[in-house]
Amino acid sequence: MNGRKVTGPVWIQPGVPDNSVTVTLGYGRTRAGRVGTAQGFNAYALRTSAAPWFASGLQIRKTGDRYVLASTQGYQSMDTPNGDHRPLVRETVLEEYHKDPDFAKGQGEEPAPGLTLYKPYPYKEEDYAWGMAIDLNSCVGCNNCMIACQSENNIAVVGKEQCAIGRHMHWIRIDTYYQYPDEAARDRDNPKAFFQPVPCMQCEDAPCEVVCPVGATNHSSEGLNDMVYNRCVGTRYCSNNCPYKVRRFNFLLFQDWVTPQYKMMRNPDVSVRSRGVMEKCTYCVQRINEHKIDAETASVREGKQIKVGDELQTACQQSCPAGAIIFGNINDPESRVSKLKAQSRNYSLLGELNTRPRTTYLAEVSNPNPELKA
Amino acid sequence: MNDRYKTTVDAEQAPVIEPGYTFGTITEKISSIVLTRPASNGWFVGFGVGFMLTMMMLYAIGYLFLKGIGIWGDTIPIGWGFAIVNFVWWIGIGHAGTLISAILLLLRQSWRNSINRFAEAMTLFAVACAGIFPAIHVGRPWLAYWLFPYPSTMGVWPQFRSPLMWDVFAVSTYATISALFWFMGLIPDFATLRDRSDKPVLRIVYGMLSMGWRGSARHWHRYETAYLLLAGLATPLVLSVHTVVSFDFAIGIVPGWHTTIFPPYFVAGAIYSGFAMVLMLAIPIRKIYRLEDFITERHLQNSAKVMLATGLIVAYGYGIEAFMGWYSGDRYDAFTLWNRLHGPYAIPYWSLLTCNIFIPQLLWIKKLRTSPLALFLLSGVILIGMWLERFIIVVVSLSRDFLTSSWGMYYPTRWDWMIFIGTIGMFLAAMFLFLRLLPAISIFEMRTLLPEAEVKE
Amino acid sequence: MKRERIYGIMAEFDSAQALVDAAKRTHEAGYNRIDAYSPFPIEGLAEEIGFHHDEVPLVVLIGGIVGGLTGYLMQYWMSVVSYPINVGGKPAHSWPAFIVITFEMTILFAGISAVFGMLALNGLPMPYHPVFNVPRFSSASKDRFFLIVFSSDPKYDPAGTRSFLQGLEPRSISEVPS
Repeated sequence: MNGRKVTGPVWIQPGVPDNSVTVTLGYGRTRAGRVGTAQGFNAYALRTSAAPWFASGLQIRKTGDRYVLASTQGYQSMDTPNGDHRPLVRETVLEEYHKDPDFAKGQGEEPAPGLTLYKPYPYKEEDYAWGMAIDLNSCVGCNNCMIACQSENNIAVVGKEQCAIGRHMHWIRIDTYYQYPDEAARDRDNPKAFFQPVPCMQCEDAPCEVVCPVGATNHSSEGLNDMVYNRCVGTRYCSNNCPYKVRRFNFLLFQDWVTPQYKMMRNPDVSVRSRGVMEKCTYCVQRINEHKIDAETASVREGKQIKVGDELQTACQQSCPAGAIIFGNINDPESRVSKLKAQSRNYSLLGELNTRPRTTYLAEVSNPNPELKA
Repeated sequence: MNDRYKTTVDAEQAPVIEPGYTFGTITEKISSIVLTRPASNGWFVGFGVGFMLTMMMLYAIGYLFLKGIGIWGDTIPIGWGFAIVNFVWWIGIGHAGTLISAILLLLRQSWRNSINRFAEAMTLFAVACAGIFPAIHVGRPWLAYWLFPYPSTMGVWPQFRSPLMWDVFAVSTYATISALFWFMGLIPDFATLRDRSDKPVLRIVYGMLSMGWRGSARHWHRYETAYLLLAGLATPLVLSVHTVVSFDFAIGIVPGWHTTIFPPYFVAGAIYSGFAMVLMLAIPIRKIYRLEDFITERHLQNSAKVMLATGLIVAYGYGIEAFMGWYSGDRYDAFTLWNRLHGPYAIPYWSLLTCNIFIPQLLWIKKLRTSPLALFLLSGVILIGMWLERFIIVVVSLSRDFLTSSWGMYYPTRWDWMIFIGTIGMFLAAMFLFLRLLPAISIFEMRTLLPEAEVKE
Repeated sequence: MKRERIYGIMAEFDSAQALVDAAKRTHEAGYNRIDAYSPFPIEGLAEEIGFHHDEVPLVVLIGGIVGGLTGYLMQYWMSVVSYPINVGGKPAHSWPAFIVITFEMTILFAGISAVFGMLALNGLPMPYHPVFNVPRFSSASKDRFFLIVFSSDPKYDPAGTRSFLQGLEPRSISEVPS
């Protein structure tokens, strides 16, 4: 382009306008230490101060080389190759929403609560029952929650090679789905893109817990799907049996136990997991306990019962710029999360499996301008 | 008269033992393999290859312990790879030994007498190979003992709702009972070897192993009772073991796992692969050690028929799985079926159907059922097919489950292959040792096949 | 002091049929403390020498019951009493899940009882036994059949018993030193 040149891999994405290319800046550095050096390609070579964000006149030539790109998501459609559509992200347009506010529940079959031979656990009698609502209307897919979670919970950075084979460690991830106006016509030009942050669902009837032979994952009375790292032997059965695939396994020694400076980097309230152990989202249990302790001491001091309220936030919630993630006590009908869960848009991901997830989603309702339609 | 030891003389069928043998010649022929025949060069080569492969496996396991499961191809979502595939494959192979020694004993199939000993040995070694995998496949293998219910300072116990716990009990019970059954069958033969051996060291070793067996009528009576009861216990046990192994999958919710057809079809598949392994071992053994008179055409034919029957049950299992994928109306099951037929792992699936269903139909042809070479090759095909079946169940089901965003692929690494091939080597090495050190055919049970063994009141 | 005690008198036979016939006649002649040795189990031989009570099935039954109870109670105690945890919303006493291990423990205990019960009832392992003193006895594990009348038998009389056994037309007769 205008005499400037950069060599790099090409990843064709749906929805990109014809004759245009998006480049990612900030890679291909030559002196950035152990982690940063020689990763990717330097797209700054194409950028001039005259045209910092857009430039034209680019020519692309095939080099014939192959380059491995790492992606944490290999399949980006809710439509399976056999022509089925899985209602993972449920959405509608405003008009339809007015006609049928319960559309989200209609898109999947969720068994009614209490359809069980066993006596249900009395979560309602506890002071707290933690839950989360994720508003898909608000999520912009910025990945901020993921980074916040990574630093809050001492999650290992595993690097490209491990990511490429599916061993990324994120406790919350953003699933991105493209949906095409006409799937059969294989029209890749005008997709809708959906973002769905997926942390642990903290299922009340968690399939992962039942299959753990050592009881390393079990339920707290407040409804958390706890993971006892010290007890875990690493059979990975829980991950296999997790329909949401939110469990992450330390396949190798991902944490650096040697470099002393890293001790200062880590959150002292969260155990650092070593090799061979399963790990997962805990709804930031360290924050929950900190707030509970504070509330209890305050109760003693004030001489009346003080409960943890909406001031308790998980790391992902705290960092979400769009306020899409709301966490709180679902036993308190006045909490924000309870109110959101009471909305008609509320639905459980894979609710038909009867896992009774504590994390639920608020379906997406869009209001597209009809004049923009091609 | 006890029918169990009756020789069925059927003009139509080949005999289970060729005529012209006496108690003495049977004894000499079988015990000479252990006591007098020098080890041939072929034996040393075979054992050597097995031993080297075992060493390769130990090296790979050592590296695994050093680095972690990450050296394998396992990922999220495919948390179980070759290790579990191999575990199920080996356990299944073991089943034929127990079937031959216990179930056929109860069914009074006297032809089993000449193949039960090495089939039981095969069971033990296969279970030993299988037993390696659950122990090494966990992320922290040095803590694998936490799966046993022992009182610990942690004050916690295993979680008995997990099928893996059931596995621990089923497989360890199976290993124990198989070993006891095998050892019990060996006691009278140890006494024979003790009395035949002319080397003092061997006399002492075999003497200790024989526990002072002297063949008293009272002892024989209790022995027979215990043997029969053990067979009666081993029969439900062997059926339960692969049922429990299938629970590892059937209890899970993964599409392609969660199905009630698994227990019967796993058991049938186990016997299918087990008989294939029996034939793959019996055909060379009878040739090399000239035991064609004891392991006759009849044995090969009967084994082939068992394979044909169990193969059809397995085919029915595949059919029902496919039918339920369509009939249940479950979108995840429907996709699992589609994915097997057309997805990225379609080649293994079609190979599986070819190896396990299409090619074994050749067993309907009597000429092939009686040809050792054809049976040997067919058995090899079936063993490959059964391995692929477990691969399809374990890996392919996990690779495409509920959330499309989490789909993944599994690529085995060289360490996966080294450990898998290493267990085959270990199995071979153990078999070679067994052939040299212990009577490969039950001597006392062979004696009972002779017409002279029958008495009238 | 030289040991002179005789453990019994042993007759050697050629075939299973001969041994069974001889055992029958010896037992009918009033000898109760006798035993027969054969290289393989012979149906009915134990009855001919007066052996009727086989306790092995009882031992196995007890073993099985103990095993089953152990299996179930162990799981019950560990999951309900000692350290109950909430696993996937299932009750602490998830009895359907406990069946498998109960079954396996039943088989395990019963099987171990069968083998070790048989050995114990047979008095094995017993490395030394007087019958091994007879050189020809080594064939008992190959193709010869032996009948012994113990010297502890009330009817035992060195000369008389010997001549009685002689009458059964054995292949050979030997005295078994104690």
